[in-house]
Formats: sequence, structure tokens, C-alpha cells
Amino acid sequence: MGRKLPDWLKVNYNKEAVDEVSHLMADLKLNTVCKEANCPNLGECFKKKTATFMILGSVCTRNCRFCNVSNGHAAEVDPEEPINLALAVKTLGLKHVVITSVTRDDLADGGAAHFASTIEAVRKYNPDTTIEVLIPDLEGVHEHLDIVINANPNVINHNIETVKYLYADVRPQADYERSLHVLKYVKEKAPDIITKTGIMVGLGETDEQVYEVMDDCLKVNCDIFTIGQYLRPSENHIELKEYVTPEKFEEYKKVGQEKGFKYIASGPLVRSSYKAEEASGVFNKEK
Amino acid sequence: MIKLIKMPKLSANMESGLLVTLRKQNGDDVQKGDVLFEVETEKVVSEIESEEDGKLVKLYFREGDNVKVDEIIAEIEIAE
Repeated sequence: MGRKLPDWLKVNYNKEAVDEVSHLMADLKLNTVCKEANCPNLGECFKKKTATFMILGSVCTRNCRFCNVSNGHAAEVDPEEPINLALAVKTLGLKHVVITSVTRDDLADGGAAHFASTIEAVRKYNPDTTIEVLIPDLEGVHEHLDIVINANPNVINHNIETVKYLYADVRPQADYERSLHVLKYVKEKAPDIITKTGIMVGLGETDEQVYEVMDDCLKVNCDIFTIGQYLRPSENHIELKEYVTPEKFEEYKKVGQEKGFKYIASGPLVRSSYKAEEASGVFNKEK
Repeated sequence: MIKLIKMPKLSANMESGLLVTLRKQNGDDVQKGDVLFEVETEKVVSEIESEEDGKLVKLYFREGDNVKVDEIIAEIEIAE
């Protein structure tokens, strides 16, 4: 086996720091998307004692071809998860927390009420912590989106994930227009909530297709846009077409800023919740 | 005291990793936080840090070797 990765995909790993955060999560029966999705930034984030929580279990009811999270029969919802998560936020002393979930098409509300309970618990025990939720599309159902919106998180993120033309291959159980509609609806219903989305590149998309996604997201007044390299979790996942260079990521960032995003993060190891505190901080300063 | 440095399990799916760079050699002093070696897995190259102060006294592999999770890569004589 020879070396195959470019130099810029280098991360730090400190076992002690990783073990410490991992044990806290295990003790409180919590999942992180960092671990379940095999995130390349896990070492760096856990060293800084930050993590992205994944609620509603670790098994997803969809099977997106880029994602490392297991799919299948989803677990029972843990009613103690909101309070346990709130306690973990307190223990870690997080100023900004990102909460995501597996997709739960099996639940009547897609898990919206559990998101709301979690937001409320975090706020109760951590009144100074800003809250970002990275939600599934909730099948675009307004009543379900309203439940999350009414819990009033600071940021609602819903990832569009890829360009329109690759949806059938990358997200066969999702819909590009539906995801755009989620972002549109949130902004119309709650203009004060920061909206955020992101894509992976390296799946064979063209620059023009990337810029088209940016334009579509700006049309629905999305505030923050993130772009990162797709990294194939295993040979069973969708093929990686290219390693996009850091220079190209810079170009995407520049174009995105010129087009009008309020904040854009673009780099090989950028993930939607990577340095999320920094992104949301831009808005706090504006207030 | 000798501490055995093993190939860490960097992700749930990981079975082995490619030892791409040895940043410390036999006889080198090592401080906690120093990068000992770089390991390439499916997604990234990870810089593995030392958890101890001491001296690297034995290396079991060379650059370019594929090392299974939990196999011993090096020995560090821990500073008293």
C-alpha cells in the first residue's frame, strides 16, 4: 500500500484528549457525529474540548452514499438525552454547541420535538451558550420545522451537501429543492435565526455547478456557507473524484464572499460544524 | 520504565494504518506533545503525539510499513 493522500490533509491526534472526551460521552450515553461519521477533525476538536453532538441515536433511516453513519432500524428515543447533553455542554464549558441528528423518517415528527427539548435543556443549564442545530430536512413539513424554529436556536443549519446534478448519486433519498425550501422557510419564519448550509466537493462537480448552489442558497437568504473536501469513508461509499487544492478552496471562498454570504468557510478539512463558534461569532458582533 | 507505543485506532473502521513518516528516531529525546510519527488512514494523515517525556529507544517499523491497530511501533524510556 503506497501513500495516496495529498499533504494538506494532515491532522493532529492526541490520544489522551480524545479518550477524555470519548469517556465523557460514553458516561452520559451520548453520541457525537465526530465519532460516528469518522470526522477527520475529531482529534483537533476533542483536544479543544469541543464536539458536535448527534441526538436521536446513532442509526439513520436514510443511506446517503457519502456518509459513514450506520443506517438501518433506528433506536428508541432516549428521553434523558436532552438533559444529559445539557450536562455535557456544562462539563465541557462550551460557549457554542452544535447539535445534529440522524434522519428519523420513522418518527411522526422526524424528531423535531426532541430537537426542541434538547435546545430547551441546553439553554436552561447553559444560558450563555449559543446553540446551533444541524437538522435533517424533516421532509420539508412546515409543522415539524416550526417546532424547531419555535425553540429559537441561534443558528439553524441544513446541509445541501452537493450540487443539484449529483443528487441522484449522492443523496438519492433527498431532494435539492426540498433542502433549499427548508432554508427558505426557516429564514421567512424567523429572520433573526442565522441560517447556514454547506457542500462537499471532490465528487466530480464543476465550478459553475458550485457557484449555482451558492446562488440558489443566496436566493433563499442563507447567511453562512461552508465548503469542504469529500473524504471517502470506505470502498463501499461513493467514489472520490478528486482532491480539490487549497488554492481552489480559496477561490470558492472569494467568489462566495463576493456573491454576498455573510460568512463563508472553505478549505479541505472544513466541515459544517468545524469552528462553528467562529462563524456564529461574526453575527454576535454585529448585534 | 519503558512505555510501548502502539498503533492507535484512529477511527471505528480502522484496522491498520500506513506509517508515512517517522518524526523521531532511535535515541531522540521526546517531550509530551511532540509528534512521534504520521499515519495515513482512509481519510487523512494523523500526526500522533507523545503522551510522555522520555527517550525513544526502539523502533519496530520503517517508513512505508503498514501497521495493524495495537501493534507496537516504538518503545519510549520514560524520564523519571
